[in-house]
Amino acid sequence: MTLLALAAAAIAAYAAVLLHAEDQRLIGALIVLGFGTAAAAAKFGLLSRLGQAGRAHPRLAPLLAVAALIALILVLREDHFALLMIGTTLLYCVACWGLNLQFGRAGVVNFAGAAFFGTGAYTTAVLAAHTALPHWLIVLLAGAVAALLGSLLILPILRTRGHYAALITIAFGILFKTFLEVNDALGGPQGLKLPGFTLFGWNLNDNITVGEQELSFYVAYIALALVLAIFAFLLVRRLEHSWIGLNFDAVRMDELAATTFGINVARWKITAFSIGNFLAGLAGSVQATMLGFIAPNNFTLSDSLIMISIILLGGLGSFWGVPLGAAIVLILPEKLQVIQEYRFLLFALLVVAVLLLRPQGLVPRAQRSFTDRIR
Amino acid sequence: MNALLHCRVLTRRFGGVTALDGLDLSLPRGEILGLIGPNGSGKTTFFNVLTGIYAPSSGHIEFDGRDISACTPQQIYRAGIARTFQRSRLNLELSIFENLMIGNHKRLNSSLWFNLMQRGALAAEVGAAYTEARELMRTFDAPLADRLDEPMAGFTMIDRRRVEVCRALISRPKLLLLDEPSAGMTHEETRALMDDILQARERIADLTIIIVEHEMGVIERITDRCVVLNFGQKIAEGKYREVAQDAKVQEAYLGVESIHEG
Amino acid sequence: MDSASILQHLVNGAMLGMMYALVAVGFTLFFGVLDVIKFSHGDVLMLGAFTALSAALGLSAAGIEQPLLQLALMLVAGIALTGLVGALVGRYLVLPLKSAPALNTLLITLMFGTALREAVRVFYPQGSNPKPFPRLLPDDALQLGALSLRADSLLLLALGALVIIATHWLIGRTKLGLAIRAVAQDEETAKIMGINYTKIVLITFALGSALAALAGIINGLYYNEINFSMGLNLGVIGFAAAIVGGLGNFYGAIIGGFLFAALQTIGAVAIPFGSSYKDVFAFAVVIALMAWKPTGLIAEQEAQRV
Repeated sequence: MTLLALAAAAIAAYAAVLLHAEDQRLIGALIVLGFGTAAAAAKFGLLSRLGQAGRAHPRLAPLLAVAALIALILVLREDHFALLMIGTTLLYCVACWGLNLQFGRAGVVNFAGAAFFGTGAYTTAVLAAHTALPHWLIVLLAGAVAALLGSLLILPILRTRGHYAALITIAFGILFKTFLEVNDALGGPQGLKLPGFTLFGWNLNDNITVGEQELSFYVAYIALALVLAIFAFLLVRRLEHSWIGLNFDAVRMDELAATTFGINVARWKITAFSIGNFLAGLAGSVQATMLGFIAPNNFTLSDSLIMISIILLGGLGSFWGVPLGAAIVLILPEKLQVIQEYRFLLFALLVVAVLLLRPQGLVPRAQRSFTDRIR
Repeated sequence: MNALLHCRVLTRRFGGVTALDGLDLSLPRGEILGLIGPNGSGKTTFFNVLTGIYAPSSGHIEFDGRDISACTPQQIYRAGIARTFQRSRLNLELSIFENLMIGNHKRLNSSLWFNLMQRGALAAEVGAAYTEARELMRTFDAPLADRLDEPMAGFTMIDRRRVEVCRALISRPKLLLLDEPSAGMTHEETRALMDDILQARERIADLTIIIVEHEMGVIERITDRCVVLNFGQKIAEGKYREVAQDAKVQEAYLGVESIHEG
Repeated sequence: MDSASILQHLVNGAMLGMMYALVAVGFTLFFGVLDVIKFSHGDVLMLGAFTALSAALGLSAAGIEQPLLQLALMLVAGIALTGLVGALVGRYLVLPLKSAPALNTLLITLMFGTALREAVRVFYPQGSNPKPFPRLLPDDALQLGALSLRADSLLLLALGALVIIATHWLIGRTKLGLAIRAVAQDEETAKIMGINYTKIVLITFALGSALAALAGIINGLYYNEINFSMGLNLGVIGFAAAIVGGLGNFYGAIIGGFLFAALQTIGAVAIPFGSSYKDVFAFAVVIALMAWKPTGLIAEQEAQRV
């Protein structure tokens, strides 16, 4: 337990220093230090002990993560840019947990993650501009629209397998972006602006003042993102430790055997696909409100592939792989400007290397332990 | 007493090949039927048609008083037919318990609300299923019953086969289909597995079994009756000793393999 | 619509169909020998076009301006490099993952394609902008009665047709083709027959990639412009064409290619705002066709082993 707490504190401290650092040489050194420490910890068995501790106290690790995150946000309270990165990482976690449910669990490939993320974003922009719906409802609707759009694609996906389904989602991803670019009603290539968000009478764009302290307005959006992330985490976690998670596994590993034992393959693929797209849509919605501006270029095939990279880097089907992958893929290029321009190239090559050398990813999926985890 | 399974002129064609050709078959409750015949004689096709993986080209299947000819594999499994596969189709990454629960699907509550929100009830269901799985496993192989949480990949061939049979048995089917349970195992292992199956059968009232097998020792030992297939047609039927003497049967096997082998 | 613009649409459609067919034949070859999908195919096409462009620029700088010589050397350069890259992809990315889940091959080639695309974008001088492609073929108008046709279109169509026929001859009539077909039929038997399996697989990958390079160069010569993401559309539609034709089926791939081109051309003409929505329409057709006939109009043989 103390080990877990220490690890959480160390990671939070490291993240705070890294996110706040500006000097490029310092950032480079910090990144090397981070990877070096992780490699050393793995070599001396520290990581496996951490993993054991995490399994021994399944409820503690998420709580510590939330606590560490809150501490991090408070430390960086005035640093707009660092906070924006944290928020983005959290929202990508939500989307990638969703995609991982489809891809890593039920085995439904989806190379249009960014398109569903974008569906959430555009739904939010349009509803916020043209209706008087309460904004919390808009966020939910954004997720629902993404799930609904996914259900249009599910028919061809169900009727096909593997590479065919991959092609369909790739085609959809490209179609989505091209459509946005030529459609003037949705702002064309210039995209759309979003109004500030109001939740229960509170405008999230106002800076927050607590006593003497002024907090960045991003803190409010991050709080929203954090709530979403906790929701997504609980949802995905509970699904995993349930009969439904087992059905997903059965469908992914052997459709024929699953069918023989009465498992309705189509039903579980649809379930995973819809929940995954719902989460991507929710995340896209909050991301759009946080940025205040969206354009087709945020939702390209490359962005979908970035999401896939996060999943593969972290480990297919893995929970903690997603935040780790998201942090590496999203934060590194933002901080280390040398690699900013090359990020798509770099991560594509990195994923190639992972697939060749360590296909289970950095944090391989843990075995489900049915009996102790359910409550 | 009426038959559990009744097939009438069951036929299945693949393109120009008739894999199953007008098969008539009736199976009383509680019987162990051996299904034998040379390779490609239609035994596995019969299982695949029976379990709904392939629809019959013509003919009818009546199971437990109900026509299941047009049913999906899901419906057939729910009606009470479970099977093992010739090539093991266990999920090696999953534990014994998880594999067994895939076979137990129809008795588990898969609704979203139950699984996400009623966690207490779910935990109770998991606990009960776990106890049951352990008991079933114990009738097969006591040491395995204490290793339910270990991934399948770490087990030997015979243990995998045991789990596969248990996966088919745990849903308490009325009819169990065993597709070459001895494949890839030694004589000793096969004997042990057959002991287990016979023992399990005594505990499950009225369990009816159809077994496809090349190992004639197994057939002789455990079946009540045999049906011999060749080119998708039934060429003989009766007690093993009788069919083994049948001229047509010996001819069918001649040059393929000797029926007295094993 | 007058007959001149009908003719123009016809030529456009035929040209597009030729490019799709070349790409689709590549997909079909890979799938035939190895049952894999190589998603980097479209980006290899782009690489071929950029290699040819670089060769052209280099030759012009060296004072070699003779158009036909230039074109010949561009083709050689483009085909050689993409062939090599294709074989390397086969050797180091696809073959090592042969026993891994099929999805991994798809992912690794998809990511490699992204890497190629990005490498051209960031390392080629001003790689993110469209590049003018030299106009090397005579573009005189040929008069056919009242209609006029550009000579280069006809030449490119002829070149494409020739390449497809040559490939067909190679697969169907040569010893190499026989080996490729043997491997496609049954890997084990081919090995027993003394065929060098790895070599044949790599040659097939090189061959398919070279076809993609040709499609890329034809694309450049026809539109006189190339860009780093050109392979995306051509790759996805070419793949869809291969599927519609039944993966692994040579004629099917060609028919699929022309079918998509026809649909796209008709769509651009018949649908209001068709021209700005032409890509949207093309991808919608891909999805719709896959929903309607998931494993192609000409079925791929797929037997479920139990």
